[in-house]
Amino acid sequence: MSDTVMNPPAGSMSRGNRSDAIFIAGVIVVGAIAMAQPWLGVSSYFLTLIYYVAYYLALGQAWNLMSGLTGYVSFSHGALAGIGAYAVVLSLNGNLPMALALVVAAIATVAASLIIGATALRLRGTAFTFATLFFQELVLLLVRKLPFTGGSSGLILYQIIPVWIAYVMMVTVAVAATIAFALTRRSRLGIRMLAIKSDESAAAAIGIDSTRLKIILFCASAGIAGLVGAVHGIFVATLYPEVIFSVDLSIVALAVALIGGVGSAAGPIAGAIVYVGLREIVQVVAPGAHLVIIGLLLLGIILFLRDGIVPAVGRLVSRKGSRSSTSGRQS
Amino acid sequence: MTILRAKGLSKRFTGVVAVKDMDVSVGDGELLGLFGPNGAGKTTLFNLIAGTFFANTGQIDFMGHDVTRMPAFRRARLGIGRTFQVVRPFRALTVMENLLAAVPSMAAGKRNDADLAWELLGKIDLQCRARDSAGDLTLGMLKRLEVARALMLSPRLLLLDEPLAGLTGKESADLLLFLQTLRGQTSVIMVEHNVRLALPICDRAVVMDAGAVIADGAPDQIRRSPAVIRAYLGEDQE
Amino acid sequence: MTLTLALQLLVNGLVNGGLLGLVALGLALIFGVVRVVNFAHGEFITLGAYTTFLLVTQFALSPLIGIPVAFLVGGLFGWVVHAVIVSRMTGRPELDVLMMTFSLSIVGLGLFALIFGGDFRNYSEGPTGSIDIGGVVVGWRSLTALIACVVLGAGTLLVVQRARIGLGLRALAQNRDAAAACGINVPASERIAFSLAVGLAAAAGSLVSLIGTTTPTVGHYWVLDGFVVVVLGGMGSISGALLAAFAISLVNSFGSYLLDDAWARIITYLLLYAAILLRPHGLLGRESAS
Repeated sequence: MSDTVMNPPAGSMSRGNRSDAIFIAGVIVVGAIAMAQPWLGVSSYFLTLIYYVAYYLALGQAWNLMSGLTGYVSFSHGALAGIGAYAVVLSLNGNLPMALALVVAAIATVAASLIIGATALRLRGTAFTFATLFFQELVLLLVRKLPFTGGSSGLILYQIIPVWIAYVMMVTVAVAATIAFALTRRSRLGIRMLAIKSDESAAAAIGIDSTRLKIILFCASAGIAGLVGAVHGIFVATLYPEVIFSVDLSIVALAVALIGGVGSAAGPIAGAIVYVGLREIVQVVAPGAHLVIIGLLLLGIILFLRDGIVPAVGRLVSRKGSRSSTSGRQS
Repeated sequence: MTILRAKGLSKRFTGVVAVKDMDVSVGDGELLGLFGPNGAGKTTLFNLIAGTFFANTGQIDFMGHDVTRMPAFRRARLGIGRTFQVVRPFRALTVMENLLAAVPSMAAGKRNDADLAWELLGKIDLQCRARDSAGDLTLGMLKRLEVARALMLSPRLLLLDEPLAGLTGKESADLLLFLQTLRGQTSVIMVEHNVRLALPICDRAVVMDAGAVIADGAPDQIRRSPAVIRAYLGEDQE
Repeated sequence: MTLTLALQLLVNGLVNGGLLGLVALGLALIFGVVRVVNFAHGEFITLGAYTTFLLVTQFALSPLIGIPVAFLVGGLFGWVVHAVIVSRMTGRPELDVLMMTFSLSIVGLGLFALIFGGDFRNYSEGPTGSIDIGGVVVGWRSLTALIACVVLGAGTLLVVQRARIGLGLRALAQNRDAAAACGINVPASERIAFSLAVGLAAAAGSLVSLIGTTTPTVGHYWVLDGFVVVVLGGMGSISGALLAAFAISLVNSFGSYLLDDAWARIITYLLLYAAILLRPHGLLGRESAS
């Protein structure tokens, strides 16, 4: 039709290759700084705050990897993290070395996710969401019943593991999860997932096996959630089913991504910071109103900010900035 | 050589029989025009061949494989590409990403898909928009993009559902020229309402009415068939 | 298992099934007509429960009056919520709408916990005693609840199937654009359906306060079962939902006796998963074209 350029210019594969690299570098730098904190003499309160930001961030990215890319909302990530917690404590109590215990936790969680995956991923989006909600309940009920999990009285980690180890591990997982998300979004897998999210039928017409990809993504997402849960299990050292498998955690995983921006690597970062900050403020100002405030925040963002904080900021920046032909959306 | 052979196909949707005991076949490299009034069942036939839904009766063979009960994505990988009556781009992705999303079919071999995508973008004159979001394109561009996206599969059979609908005269002419370059490598079944433009480039034409074939042959035969003229009463005819 | 025992468990299951059916009816209505998965439905149930509780304890009224009052209060809340929040979400992707109802649910839960605290609330006013039919004992409270469910359920079905308004709602459920093109006032019809469904939920909550205990999370647990019913019955199929409601309640009833509450619930969920595997579109759902 017209003169064709034989070779694609470098970096035309998808937008923002350079901004991606900058973002990843930034995340690593911030992560390194965070990791250094215990030795810089900051208060343990501040360290706890950073820990929780990393914790919710990591879980949010795990959720984001599945639900942000596929549009299938999962309410099971809290339960998946819980499975990781129980698996790691049981393994450590069984005298397995730390590295192996973490691997066991990830594998256990992935195995559990395959159960939901094989059953629920054939369903329409909303039915899948319910299935994950039920999974959460089911796991809670089972854990209370099964003998080796210590039942309602809880499970205790025998070893004394210094808190700073859990702290460092959680920051590492948070950084790794964020980078994993950013890389996946750009990869063929990420592109195909977003194609499925855009138009599942048209995606099938170009050879995409949506069920298989959804399962792969869900398992990967679950594995990360399992690791996050495992590290947290080490952090708290005593596991009570009602707490560990409370649906609250699944809500937080979701809220963190939603507040910051679903489907972007930066979203859960903003979301985790906002959530933890807000929670601390509410604790002081109006304890007991915690749920109401979070609910109203979420409602406000959905109604007025549409995609979350990060894209909203991006729109603001691009409107004030130059008139480039590409929209101002970031990673 | 026949690459697609469908026999005895029928499909009903609670009360409506969209396709009634149809036989259709396509040869290697052939450009088959599929015509007929609205509601004749043309898109349904496409959906049956592509695998969007399964037929109630009948059998479909493609390249020697029985694809009657094969899911859509597997048929795409075997080499059946399609476009849609109403364009369905991936609006969340860029133009380039729309092409890269395609899974290379068995026929594609070890070709680098980024190179292939770039080349196709050149052929449809969209290289300059490669990094733009698909949601920003005009209808004409989106139609070309959808054809290119199907071509990423290196398909042996391309199903085009009203590719000229909504295009300007020049855009239609350009697209038709492009389609003729596919001759010999890719078989094409094209549904079109613009008989005047489409019939001349077809090797063969099939006319449907009320779910069944009423004519099947060379373009000249079709033009003169009384059955076809009757079915099209009131529409453009030669 | 004697016949008497079996009948007793059956009756218990029926009462719960009626309540569950009412909850599921509201959910199916909202999903079918407004195309929204109402995660906040549980909080409307709780609303009805607390409304009746207050009516009884603060205003010394009979719980029987509480039922229609809760229905009206629920309807009013539903009207306002739809007008102010839900109607703004038309055209937004499913995920957003889902999260919107979910956030509403969190707000509701938080408010109830804040205002009433976590205490278990009960009242003794209202029908007391029981009747004995050949060894099967049915409390008057349970019987009242069952009757109310039947009345409300039948009334709703009558409206949906027979009344002019109901015709509009059914048309809307099948094809929104076509309905609008026929002159059906889509936004108004949605609001009516939503309010009706929320009213039903509140009424169900009122009944729950009568036969059970009222806490901030009481609605949440009923609605979870409600979702099981709706998924099992095939997202939006009313007959499927009702069938599933009774099926689930009977499983729970017999399961609770034979094993214990927790195992009964576990079995319910496992059955749900099995059903999903075998029939992805629910018990009576229609197979949809892709």
